[in-house]
Amino acid sequence: MIVFLQSVLSGLLVGGVYALIGIGLTLIFGVMRVTNFAHGELLMLGMYLAWLAFTGLHVDPFLSIVLVAPAMFLWGAFLQKSFVNRVLGALPQNQILLTIGLGLIMSNTVMLIFTSDYRILTTTYSSSSYKLAGLSISQPLLYAFLITVAITGALYWFLLKTDTGQAIRATAQDRDAAQLMGINVRRMSVLAFGIGSALAGTAGALISPTYYIFPQVGSTFTLKAFVIVVLGGMGSVVGATLGGIIIGVAESLSAVYIASGLKELVTFVLFLALLLFKPAGLLGKTRA
Amino acid sequence: MTKKLAMAVAALALALPGTGSAQVKIGFINSITGPEAPIGENLTNGVDMAVEDLKKQGVNVTLVKQDDTGKPQVAMSAMEQLATGDEVAAVVGPYTSATANAVAKLAQQYKVPQVVPAAAKEEITKQGYDWVFRLNAPAHQYAQSLIDAALTFGKPKSIAFIYESTDFGASVAGAGKDYAQKKGLKIVADEAYQKGAPDYRSTLTKIKAQNPDLVFMVSYVADAILLMRQSREVGLKPQAFLGGGAGFDTAQFEGEKDISNLVFSVTQWTPESSKAATAFADRYKAKYGKKPTYHAACAYAAMMVVGETAAKNGGDRKKIRDALANGSWTGIMGKVDFETYEGFTNQNKLVMPVIQYQGGKSETVFPKEAAQKKAVYPFPGWK
Repeated sequence: MIVFLQSVLSGLLVGGVYALIGIGLTLIFGVMRVTNFAHGELLMLGMYLAWLAFTGLHVDPFLSIVLVAPAMFLWGAFLQKSFVNRVLGALPQNQILLTIGLGLIMSNTVMLIFTSDYRILTTTYSSSSYKLAGLSISQPLLYAFLITVAITGALYWFLLKTDTGQAIRATAQDRDAAQLMGINVRRMSVLAFGIGSALAGTAGALISPTYYIFPQVGSTFTLKAFVIVVLGGMGSVVGATLGGIIIGVAESLSAVYIASGLKELVTFVLFLALLLFKPAGLLGKTRA
Repeated sequence: MTKKLAMAVAALALALPGTGSAQVKIGFINSITGPEAPIGENLTNGVDMAVEDLKKQGVNVTLVKQDDTGKPQVAMSAMEQLATGDEVAAVVGPYTSATANAVAKLAQQYKVPQVVPAAAKEEITKQGYDWVFRLNAPAHQYAQSLIDAALTFGKPKSIAFIYESTDFGASVAGAGKDYAQKKGLKIVADEAYQKGAPDYRSTLTKIKAQNPDLVFMVSYVADAILLMRQSREVGLKPQAFLGGGAGFDTAQFEGEKDISNLVFSVTQWTPESSKAATAFADRYKAKYGKKPTYHAACAYAAMMVVGETAAKNGGDRKKIRDALANGSWTGIMGKVDFETYEGFTNQNKLVMPVIQYQGGKSETVFPKEAAQKKAVYPFPGWK
């Protein structure tokens, strides 16, 4: 029983961070219909920023998100304005090539600057945990989870209650109609890409104390983010949150009850099975 | 300094008389980019240093570097290019087990001498390929040294395995399971994991529930740190943690004092093993600003052997192969002698020392002859 509870718990905590990565991706896709294959690389940049802040300025990685998030927002907005914007109406394969290319440039530039050495962020609480009724709760993971919850909450509020948030949602629902209603859709695209990048960067900063940092780390998370987003329904923020949690828990449980080496397999089988019965994803709407 | 350098070179010089300058073309396949690049870099550094030292001995090596990105199929096309396009005299590399094994087949087919510097998969030199040579010790040595050490230090009854599902991880763990059974240890857990996953807590919790006396882990680079951090989080406390080389044998792991303390690991090479080795480590540190890993030492030694042999035999592949099979060399890895024994072909017999991290420093603790410090056993628990 302890083993079961423990694996559900760590699955939940990891899933929270997965959700944050997925939300960024789904937001970008929702507003622009561009699948961002450089999402993992944005996360990687966030990790390096957190690492730099930690080693250079001695800022705690969890506090460093106040620096990382705005920096990544600006970077994302820049990428959108100068590159992604040009392919908005283009063929999907051109968009894919562009974002993959951007990702490669980012990871290779980072490799040139920082070499491919693995960086490990060691904080005082890196391997500490809280004990609760026989369960151990990883301290860094718990902090990351709580911050994720706060950010997701704030994002929901922003999207639901503010004018800008509603404009973003309107653009996601129907770009042309939104434009006719006087919404500056170009600005919304820049905003969405910026927010998406900021979320990816923040997720990177949040996992940097528990994971390791190297230039190619992005690809693992790009793939994971896609599964999460498609599982939850492309463009749905709630779906991505749910998708992240489901993937986190499924990975954790299958590692214990099936085999650690097969946990990816289990996730993908789960994913395929869901698509078979609900092609639009859990909360996705099929578009005409 | 020059004198010191010259002495070091002299110590490293293998059985080659100081002939005039010779020109040879040698191929080097390595993970220069891709997920294995961080370790690959050490091999590149080692090979670069060997090329410099060879030059001082009058052997001009034209090095043709190929990047395999850690993928067997890329490594294979690199080998084809080297064998038929660049027409190299011999090949050093690749680094990982999967790539080295794939390339071995082609080395045999194209009749190009290949010296594998640091890949541990058993099969590589077990297929009767007479063009393939291996300098480092194969997988079963890792497991045997570690389990022998644990059985000497205490009386463990059970053992749990957790390893990454790669050629290297599976071969070392597989050999470990065979050997553990032979020694009467009960295997209570056998967990292969997908490398690079951020969370091993559930797997470790499952292992903790089995309460094993020994925990045997095999992983590349940073997963080793993650595994130990999370072991501490979940409170896994066996009599000893045995780390099967690779990631457990890096300066970074050593530096993580909180979690590396009292972990055992096994290695192909330590800088303290001989004077020549210490001199190499000092020069490496001065040049690259970090401690050499065994990969760097293996790659250096392999390149020295290949460079000298190729120069002596005027780049003739057949002659080089025969010279490699029959010769023996002494350098920073001790004696190198490719032998055919117990199903292995052209395998260098290397005794692997067991180390234990004590207060952020690796100390050789086994075998007795090589031990510098007394081992701490059993593991007293997490601080």
